[in-house]
Amino acid sequence: MQDDYANAKKEMDKLVMESLKGKEFKPNVMFGKLSELTKTMSKGIVNWSRKNSLWPLQFGLACCAIELMDFGSSRIDAERKGYLLFRATPRQCDVMVIAGWVTKSMIPEIKRMYEQMAEPRYVIAYGECATAGGPWWESYNIVKGIDQVLPVDVYAVGCPPRPEDLFLALMKLQKRIGGVIED
Amino acid sequence: MSITRINIGPIHPSTHGVCRLVVDVDGDTIVKVEPHIGFLHRGVEKLVENRMYMQCPPYMEKLDYVAPMSMDDLYVGAVEAALGVEVKERAKYVRVILLELQRLASHLFLIGSVGNDLGLMFTMFMWAFKDRDLILKLLEEATGQRMFYVNMRLGGLVNTLPKDFEEHTIDTLEGLEKRLKKYQAFLEKNPIFIERMKGVGVLKKEDAIDLGVTGPVLRASGVRYDVRKNNPYYVYRELNFSEKVLYDGDNLARFRVRILEMYESMRLIRAAFEKMPEGDEKGMPIRLITPKAKNRIVVVNREVPRGEGLIYMVADPEKAYRLSIRAPSFINLAALEHITKGARIADLFAIFGSLDLVMADVDR
Repeated sequence: MQDDYANAKKEMDKLVMESLKGKEFKPNVMFGKLSELTKTMSKGIVNWSRKNSLWPLQFGLACCAIELMDFGSSRIDAERKGYLLFRATPRQCDVMVIAGWVTKSMIPEIKRMYEQMAEPRYVIAYGECATAGGPWWESYNIVKGIDQVLPVDVYAVGCPPRPEDLFLALMKLQKRIGGVIED
Repeated sequence: MSITRINIGPIHPSTHGVCRLVVDVDGDTIVKVEPHIGFLHRGVEKLVENRMYMQCPPYMEKLDYVAPMSMDDLYVGAVEAALGVEVKERAKYVRVILLELQRLASHLFLIGSVGNDLGLMFTMFMWAFKDRDLILKLLEEATGQRMFYVNMRLGGLVNTLPKDFEEHTIDTLEGLEKRLKKYQAFLEKNPIFIERMKGVGVLKKEDAIDLGVTGPVLRASGVRYDVRKNNPYYVYRELNFSEKVLYDGDNLARFRVRILEMYESMRLIRAAFEKMPEGDEKGMPIRLITPKAKNRIVVVNREVPRGEGLIYMVADPEKAYRLSIRAPSFINLAALEHITKGARIADLFAIFGSLDLVMADVDR
């Protein structure tokens, strides 16, 4: 616990120092620089807090949703990384996990869900069907990959991917968001 | 009184999939529920017509993703009947073991979500999923896959059982049996749970027969019908399978019948391990299959965890000319409109959950 606290503090210090790099301070232009400084600093802080509280949307389409539920259960303690507060409304969420095959009749619904989410919003394509159509690529009613409809940030491949793979995908997403500190 | 129309879904956290319900309510009472389906339709029956026989099990498994192996078994059973392949004696026992393990996992899924559907008790979800994971671990040990096993071959299985499998299974079941008692007590000692489940969503015996529902939903209404008993396949007769029947037909009965079935499944697994003969359970390698259809038209039924699964197949050499699936969830969904009449809107998803539907099975 104390280690965590110390780590977080170290991360914050490092972030601040990084954002200060390359800045020159002259006494007469201090004010302008200060506003800039706060801007960069707050950006780092916001990113840092954002990546540590990714809230996924409680939304599943097909088979992979079962593994998504398993991800939410007790074996994988996903809360330690800050995700696992499945919200039932898109307005409170940051991440949308597309778990399952996407049919043509689902596209308008998924689009609407995506648009309801507050920016910045991220999409994870979970499973083969959401990535590229999976085994249904020949079917007349299936969209061959959700990336034809929405911008996808991270793909997790498998049929279905293990819950650990979703964990990995979310960690990749954290890296993308930034505010990453190397130990 | 004015009637309000509410649209629930297609994306709703408690629809267990993607289903749209148009509900007419009079105040708090449901007048009519109209399920709109087809959001997961992908045309399996058509796709299968262009695939060789043993290319199809992965498609069939995705019909019922809570209990994939049972659907796999249903399809392979149909192909075996069409091509006239005999199942090896040991393979029958192994199949029964794996299928009953799958049934346990499937019913645990329901037990986990039942508290969730009532809007309380997330604890139960956590507990049941922990146990479900243990069973998935066993199945992974036996088949090499976590969720979609594709473990059936004509006449047997792909993988032989590992050495310690029996020991591990018996250990797991022992723990599960203890915990299952605890879970049932945890739920049924709760007066709110009983209040919300008892007498809600009553399906009478005659209606159940008329609507054609099968599986635990039918048995909870007092009808003695189980394919494992009425049309026994594999070794269910040798293992003295007895079907579990309750007579109330409400949510609580549907919940209890599943718990009773879980005890029966555990007994079956233990008995199968005891009676299992020595030998080989490996199925026919795919390259050795001589695709000559012995019977042109086959109808095969199996008791999958959600009800009676049935496949009607017109067999051509090499692939199915036409394959039609009777999905248990699809027919059980038809009962929803009937049993929700007069119920409270808050109980809608408790009733919906008690039918234990899988939407991919409904839409196909």
